Amino acid sequence: MFCFQDINWGTFGWTLGVMLIIALVLGGLIILVSKFFSVEKDTRVDEIVEHLPKANCGACGHPGCEGFAQALVNGTADVDDCKVSSKEQKIEIANILGKSFSGGEETVAVVACNGGNNCQDKYAYQGYGNCQAQVMLSGGRKACPVGCMGAGSCADICPSAAIKVKEGVAVVDPDLCISCGLCMQTCPKKIIKRIPKSAKIYVACSTQCKGKEVMAACKAGCIACGICERTCKYGAIHLVNNVPVIDYSKCVGCKECMNKCPRKVIKERNA
Amino acid sequence: MGIVSLFIAAVFTNNFILVQTVGICPFLGVSKKTESALGMGIAVTFVMVLASAFTYAVYDWVLVPLGMEFMQTIVFIFVIAALVQMLEMFIKKTSPSLYSSLGVYLPLITTNCTILGVAVANLSDALVTNLFMAILNGLFCGIGFTLAIFLMSGLREKVDKANIPRCFKGFPITLITACFMAMAFAVFG
Repeated sequence: MFCFQDINWGTFGWTLGVMLIIALVLGGLIILVSKFFSVEKDTRVDEIVEHLPKANCGACGHPGCEGFAQALVNGTADVDDCKVSSKEQKIEIANILGKSFSGGEETVAVVACNGGNNCQDKYAYQGYGNCQAQVMLSGGRKACPVGCMGAGSCADICPSAAIKVKEGVAVVDPDLCISCGLCMQTCPKKIIKRIPKSAKIYVACSTQCKGKEVMAACKAGCIACGICERTCKYGAIHLVNNVPVIDYSKCVGCKECMNKCPRKVIKERNA
Repeated sequence: MGIVSLFIAAVFTNNFILVQTVGICPFLGVSKKTESALGMGIAVTFVMVLASAFTYAVYDWVLVPLGMEFMQTIVFIFVIAALVQMLEMFIKKTSPSLYSSLGVYLPLITTNCTILGVAVANLSDALVTNLFMAILNGLFCGIGFTLAIFLMSGLREKVDKANIPRCFKGFPITLITACFMAMAFAVFG
């Protein structure tokens, strides 16, 4: 049985003393090093992190929320780059930085493609399921170079499960979308775009090809006929590189262009 | 000859991760991307070299003369933790770019078992006869660690793209991959 008389108090004290000396030496060294190599840290970084969502989603392109806060302090990032934080949070951060925040509009993502099963296949694909793998083989199986392949890489990465693939094309649920932008980065064809949350309509096609090529490839592609541009009374829609672009600051949501579009490319955003 | 056999032993036959199964946490945790795996590998190698130098010196010059070899584990933990702490401050001041690439991994390494493993292995390894060989052993073990984590990250990037059953996604398939790698490395022994 263990007994206090068994302890060799001499060795015990000796060991304790030596350990104490080693600890003190190392502690002293750390203090010395921290004195000599101290780095001034901006206290604003920690304050900003407090107001960020702390999701560390990385959608802003910085390593986590702290990296983003550091970039904000350095002036290499904009408060609006973080799409996950709310408007109140952004105003708080802008206050810490001593800047005024213009109040960027809340946005949602949309898939600018209506093709899916309407768009023809170039070849029958067999292999890994996701879009990144498919696009490696001569730019994907779709006849359209910017056609959604419907393999759902965006749906897989979406943190809020807002994207579903319906009839061969990905569709974003605007109620669930937090506009983090991960799908925009993931999509190999870069056909997911951001539009204001208040927008009534959007252009569901990204093709920049000529009308004839589109006719051959896809039943739902924009042929750049320009009817939408001529219909719009407010000058809010223009053809740029063979595809209409809506200026949401001018669009009033009358849906005239949507009704006139012969290919039904302009779609109502089901809010 | 001694150096060559030390190298082969440290990198292949006694690879810390795949044969001795030490340091599994960074091996599984930081092997998602090749880039971060390499960063972790380099950071570990760096700290291993320093740790083996300092721990061997402390053991030889302090613990043995005082007859306190039985306290080696605790003293080594002391020395390594303090060393990494000082190293972090040093790098932060002198090279911010190196800090930002290594910085995340350095605090993780402080309590890593591979580092302590090298320090302890240096004392029992018959090939390690002096301080120089201890430092070399640290370097070679670091290279072995980097090799293992780099190979693992390459495999994981590939596996991420593959269509694997849902129940195997993530850690299960990673553990199975690690198992196969360990079996392959067992052949060296």
